[in-house]
Amino acid sequence: MAAAVPGATRAGAAAVLLLLGCCGPVLAGGLQDQAEQFFRSGHTNNWAVLVCTSRFWFNYRHVANTLSVYRSVKRLGIPDSHIVLMLADDMACNPRNPKPATVFSHKNMELNVYGDDVEVDYRSYEVTVENFLRVLTGRIPPSTPRSKRLLSDDRSNILIYMTGHGGNGFLKFQDSEEITNVELADAFEQMWQKRRYNELLFIIDTCQGASMYERFYSPNIMALASSQVGEDSLSHQPDLGIGVHLMDRYTFYVLEFLEEIHPASQTNMNDLFQVCPKSLCVSTPGHRTDLFQRDPQNVLITDFFGSVRKVEITTETVSLDQDVAGFESKFPEEELATEPLKYAEQLPVAQIIHQKPKQKDWHPPGGFILGLWALIIMVFFKTYGIKHMKHVF
Amino acid sequence: MAAPLVLVVLAAVTVRAALYRSSLAVFIAERVEVASPLNAWKRVVEGLALLDLGVSPYSGAIFHETPLIIYLFHFLIEYAELVFMITDVLTAVALYLAIQDFNKVVFKKQKLLIELDKYAPDVAELIQTPMEMHYIPLKVALFYLLNPYTVMSCVAKSTCAINNSVVAFFILATIKGSAFLSAVFLALATYQSLYPLTLFAPALLYLLQRQFIPIKLKSKSFWLYTMQYASLYLCSLVVIICLSFFLLNSWDFIPSVYGFILSVPDLTPNIGLFWYFFAEMFEHFSLFFVCVFQINVFFYTIPLAIKLKEHPVFFMFVQLAIISIFKSYPTVGDVALYMAFLPVWSHLYRFLRNIFILSCVLIFCSFLFPVLWHLWIYAGSANSNFYYAITLTFNIGQILLISDYFYAFLRREYYLTHGLHLTRQDGTEAMLVLK
Repeated sequence: MAAAVPGATRAGAAAVLLLLGCCGPVLAGGLQDQAEQFFRSGHTNNWAVLVCTSRFWFNYRHVANTLSVYRSVKRLGIPDSHIVLMLADDMACNPRNPKPATVFSHKNMELNVYGDDVEVDYRSYEVTVENFLRVLTGRIPPSTPRSKRLLSDDRSNILIYMTGHGGNGFLKFQDSEEITNVELADAFEQMWQKRRYNELLFIIDTCQGASMYERFYSPNIMALASSQVGEDSLSHQPDLGIGVHLMDRYTFYVLEFLEEIHPASQTNMNDLFQVCPKSLCVSTPGHRTDLFQRDPQNVLITDFFGSVRKVEITTETVSLDQDVAGFESKFPEEELATEPLKYAEQLPVAQIIHQKPKQKDWHPPGGFILGLWALIIMVFFKTYGIKHMKHVF
Repeated sequence: MAAPLVLVVLAAVTVRAALYRSSLAVFIAERVEVASPLNAWKRVVEGLALLDLGVSPYSGAIFHETPLIIYLFHFLIEYAELVFMITDVLTAVALYLAIQDFNKVVFKKQKLLIELDKYAPDVAELIQTPMEMHYIPLKVALFYLLNPYTVMSCVAKSTCAINNSVVAFFILATIKGSAFLSAVFLALATYQSLYPLTLFAPALLYLLQRQFIPIKLKSKSFWLYTMQYASLYLCSLVVIICLSFFLLNSWDFIPSVYGFILSVPDLTPNIGLFWYFFAEMFEHFSLFFVCVFQINVFFYTIPLAIKLKEHPVFFMFVQLAIISIFKSYPTVGDVALYMAFLPVWSHLYRFLRNIFILSCVLIFCSFLFPVLWHLWIYAGSANSNFYYAITLTFNIGQILLISDYFYAFLRREYYLTHGLHLTRQDGTEAMLVLK
């Protein structure tokens, strides 16, 4: 997996070196190209948050969906420490499972996506809207173990895959609560404000899934859904031995597509958009790229589904100037001024430290004091007689 | 008599100073039995802090003190402990002087009645002698200063102490006979908390008695004097309220203080009867029941005035007790004020029927208050009913105490004029019953 990359590029680098010997300027240009490729995406680590939101035996396929994506993502290099897997129910050890300790994603029990190395981070009743949002935003109680945290930074590419039962604008969790598309969009905006992702790929396989990405407004998000608003996502095939549908159509074809990918493949997102056309999926898959800065043509599948370490070996020195990657800075200079404050700058620390001087104390008005003491003196003299006046003056 | 009084004062001041320095001060200051929303020290500090920030202290629902208290504490807030100790001492001294004068009046009246042969022949043991009356003022001062309720109230820096001292000065002025001062202090006391308004009747009766004006509805001099006193009282009240307006240039204090006392919006538990009832009440009925409860305080004045018109100071005592029991936010400081008067009627001891049970009830309830509060609020194993049960029992104990004293007083008066050994028509021994 990761070893293939330097191997492939080593060959490429060797070829470049050979060409270097021949013609300099061309070589310099070739090396620049490679350096360009090096900086193409801008992420340094990959995370995946895979969520299955339904429980009960007849929702076997949602667990199988999630585990299939988990399998692919792990195969392509993302380690368990960088995957947050949330399964709302335990199908492998469900009493109704005729083949215990297995979850099959293909009929005739061809592909078991469960196994010894499946690490479920949030299981059963821990999969709630609150926990999901807390994972995304990072606002987690201090006692949460690392395996349950999304410790991404602003160079992380995050894949978020959700599956379950949904409707127009919501996704059902555990048959008792929902997350709305607005909440999800706000959570992603929080992530953006807190610099918790570089780019985000959001895939959802539910009925009317496209409604869930309608409300996104944060930059660098690409979204895919298995069906448009008003359409249902259908399941693929029942297995008569197990008795339930094993997979949803969209994820089945995505899984088929992903099985062709290896860590060095250059397949880009446009191919992923073509997966599962209407003839195969019955529903119309949708995608949204308007918030994404790069052209989907240039986005590799492995940018999100794999953890591809960029290792380029060369004996030449490459000077890195500003334009070496043709990499558009995220924020063109003129936009910097209107950029909202960074998180740390949002607290007016300078104002807090240099407190305003204490306001002048309140004093009772002169008229009041005068009146009160005049009254007291009048009472005194009325009681004790005027003759005391001469003692005062 | 000055020396023992000074000793008592010193002892009281020491006790208070010791408690101020101990860790109990904070604990006591937070107790709901001692600090009510009307007189808690925390709220005074909050109000003054708001004032320093340029906001009217009446703008929230925190501060319910009168502007004169604002004025007083604006300058004295650093010496708050000293102020409260001095207030307690002043109250005790005022009560001492008042009861001293009152004893002289009682003794004079008794002498007059004996000479006029108004007493039955066999009541020698009921007559009060100067010997036994000699120590009563000191006992009153002692009862007030060393009463645990007063000490707790002082340590909590509850402004109830200031209200008590104004009432004590009012009593002193009334007993000394100065109608003007009495009216001024009564106006101050009413201005502070609304209920001393009911003390107008006993003060008037006392002053009429002192001027030897008979209390007949047709008598012109009676109405003249009443009008004079009432106008003095009302004028001083109006002057004080208008003066308070000029402190903050707003009438905000009227709904905050008097509106609050009358409409009882804050239902924090206390030793009174309002909170639980209104916590359970539907909003639809709350206005009606607020009116009923408030009328209950003022209601007993007229019947008591009719019954006790010859004995206005006892009437004042009973009225003070009724205010302490039925007011909207009572605290133990209010209870301490009327309890200070109990030595004045120690000669009624032989007629008190339930004094043992009632004192036990009052003592036990005082101890159970913090226990059940802890169980309700902190341990969570009780609920408000438990605390309210103790409140109810405490108030029932107080009511029975007052009615016991009332009955004993009337019984003694009856025996004085009709003799100790009452017989019925057929010669058998008769029992006196309160109808």
